[in-house]
Amino acid sequence: MRLSKKKRSNILAGYFFISPWIIGFLAFILFPLVASFLLSFTKYDVLSTPKFIGFDNWYRMFFEDRRFYNALRATLKYVVFAVPFRLLFAFIVALVLNLSEHKIIRLYRAIYYVPSLVGGSVAVAVMWKQIFGMDGLVNYILQNILGYSEKIMWLGDPRFAIWTLILLAMWQFGSPMLIFLAGLKQIPVELYEAASIDGAGFWRQIFKITLPLLSPVIFFNLVMQTIGGFMVFTQAYIITGGAPLDTTLFYALYVYQKAFRDYDMGYASAMAWFLLVVVAVVTFILFKTSKKWVYYEAGEVK
Amino acid sequence: MKFKGVLVFLLLLLIVLTVNYSQQPINLRVAWWGSQTRHNQTLEVIKLFEKRYPNIKITPEYTSWSDYWTKLNTQAAAGNLPDVIQHDYQYITEWVNRGLLLPLDDFVKDNVINLKDVATNYIKPGIVNSRLYGINLGVNALGLVYDPELFKQAGFPLPKNDWTWEEFKNTVIQIKKKLCIYGVEGFTGQIECFKIWLIENGEWLYSQDGKSIGFSKDTFVKWWKMMLDIENAGAAPDVTVDVSRTGLGVEDQFIVKKKSAMSLAWSNQLIAISKAAGRPLKMVLFPRLDKKSKSGTYLKASMFFSIYSRTRYPKEAAMFIDFFTNNLDAHKIMKAERGVPISSRVQTFLKPYIEASQKEAFAFVRLAEKEGSPTPPPDIPKHAEISNNVIAPIWEQIRYKKIGLEEAYDTLKKEAEKILNR
Repeated sequence: MRLSKKKRSNILAGYFFISPWIIGFLAFILFPLVASFLLSFTKYDVLSTPKFIGFDNWYRMFFEDRRFYNALRATLKYVVFAVPFRLLFAFIVALVLNLSEHKIIRLYRAIYYVPSLVGGSVAVAVMWKQIFGMDGLVNYILQNILGYSEKIMWLGDPRFAIWTLILLAMWQFGSPMLIFLAGLKQIPVELYEAASIDGAGFWRQIFKITLPLLSPVIFFNLVMQTIGGFMVFTQAYIITGGAPLDTTLFYALYVYQKAFRDYDMGYASAMAWFLLVVVAVVTFILFKTSKKWVYYEAGEVK
Repeated sequence: MKFKGVLVFLLLLLIVLTVNYSQQPINLRVAWWGSQTRHNQTLEVIKLFEKRYPNIKITPEYTSWSDYWTKLNTQAAAGNLPDVIQHDYQYITEWVNRGLLLPLDDFVKDNVINLKDVATNYIKPGIVNSRLYGINLGVNALGLVYDPELFKQAGFPLPKNDWTWEEFKNTVIQIKKKLCIYGVEGFTGQIECFKIWLIENGEWLYSQDGKSIGFSKDTFVKWWKMMLDIENAGAAPDVTVDVSRTGLGVEDQFIVKKKSAMSLAWSNQLIAISKAAGRPLKMVLFPRLDKKSKSGTYLKASMFFSIYSRTRYPKEAAMFIDFFTNNLDAHKIMKAERGVPISSRVQTFLKPYIEASQKEAFAFVRLAEKEGSPTPPPDIPKHAEISNNVIAPIWEQIRYKKIGLEEAYDTLKKEAEKILNR
């Protein structure tokens, strides 16, 4: 079937208008994806041309590199703790902000969003490093106000270092909070009214109305935050550099070190691809479990 | 008619632009790493150079050490390197082997780069595969900075340049006991200190062929026993303290705050440390095995200037390096910030202009030249990878007491040699 001239030019115009996205996708997503997959089978140090070495990088990664497993462990620990904590915190703040419609609440909404705007940035990481440093704010409070005699090396002690980063993640609850807040506003007020007439208390309302109706939003936040959690980089790069004893050597940080410190691009590509697989699998599992607990309103069940 | 007019105008514009372009001054790109002080000084020297050679324009490209190599490697991959590149002893061999640098012998022969006032010892570090690839920008030596005031307070004689490790260990532990401050900082976990220990023991990190570890278990264990003794006595910062204090500036060093009697430093850093401390500090050589042997302190080329092999203006780039090496006004600005200048004429010229701490640094370099050990070979290309992924993590485990010394050596040897033979 031949298209009329007008139809064809319509199609062309359509492609023309979405071309920025198409070009961006091809050049900055698809091409690097394919290129890094190919590079993962080579020895490539940036300066010379890549040399094909088969599965060497992959073998080294799984069977010879202790630090690879350190990185995996640190990242998993971070995801398992930071993501739920952040979501819980965001949820609580969203609940509180949803209580009233006063003007001041709008200001608070904006204020609470600020940490996550600046959160991924270098400046906040540097500040965090100061706060938990040897002569930082936390130790100052411990010593001078709580009368603690010894300084705690928050960033130097393998037991504590990762928790300072998890705490930082918790503090950056702004964007899931906003999404929660939008979700809360969607829940019809009648439901709460009916429930309170029937004598349901606060907790009961939360568990029987708020959480089920909010579950699609919770699910969305969970997936996004989990993916983001696996890619955490700046905080560890600036604050701890992976120390002590690799307890904060996050996966993305190790990929960066391999790529831009050891110039082992092939190996870094293999690592990056493995992370992609891990994230895909975890997301898949989350989607599978979602059938059990995510509630879509009647007629929209997928 | 109108169309023709536009065409003629465009043609004229093209001609004007072409003519203009061909008359454009030569543009050299110069890259270096360093602190803000170095950036300011180097920019001033560049201004001086441009005044002297008005037909040459210089585009500076400067960053900190950690970003520098990432940037350069990316530029190298893109075939877009600067014309003049500040280079390091650690990487220069690798770069030469990849054909990225230009041999400078002809420029020296033709006197474009004048090295007549430079001792051969200072030229040697820039020679790779028997050709000259880097002009040494200054000479440094690693040593111990100490605070004479604190030694006096503790009732100790000042450290002597012929002291032994035994004396060193006793001194730092006694200082801790008397004054309740650290005896030495920044020392116990430093691989550079271990290198000096190896030199004194007649060993080196790697074997001659670069296929295996070059030091014995005995040397390794002895070193770490001493380091752990010092740390356990509280005479040096504990590993948790060191780790939580990474990335701090000079002004935060313990020696500056009178919380440590000694600190590890390169001779050119003495100037910044003294300035931050606001009182005179001195430098002493590394301790020796016994009174008869030599100190392992050695002279190191702090950094080089090299030329990109595919530069469009090799001669002008060489002229810039010559200016940097020999011009007296330039050195008056830089004041030996990159280490003691290699030209003896410049050294003599600078004398009336330098401050007390710089005099101390100059004297220390002379002392190291006379009483120290010969400069070891440059680090092998794989050293960076081994140091980052094997040595540093294992040393951390030792300091956190997660691994015994014997086991640490065996693991280190096994993992390092796997990388060396890959």
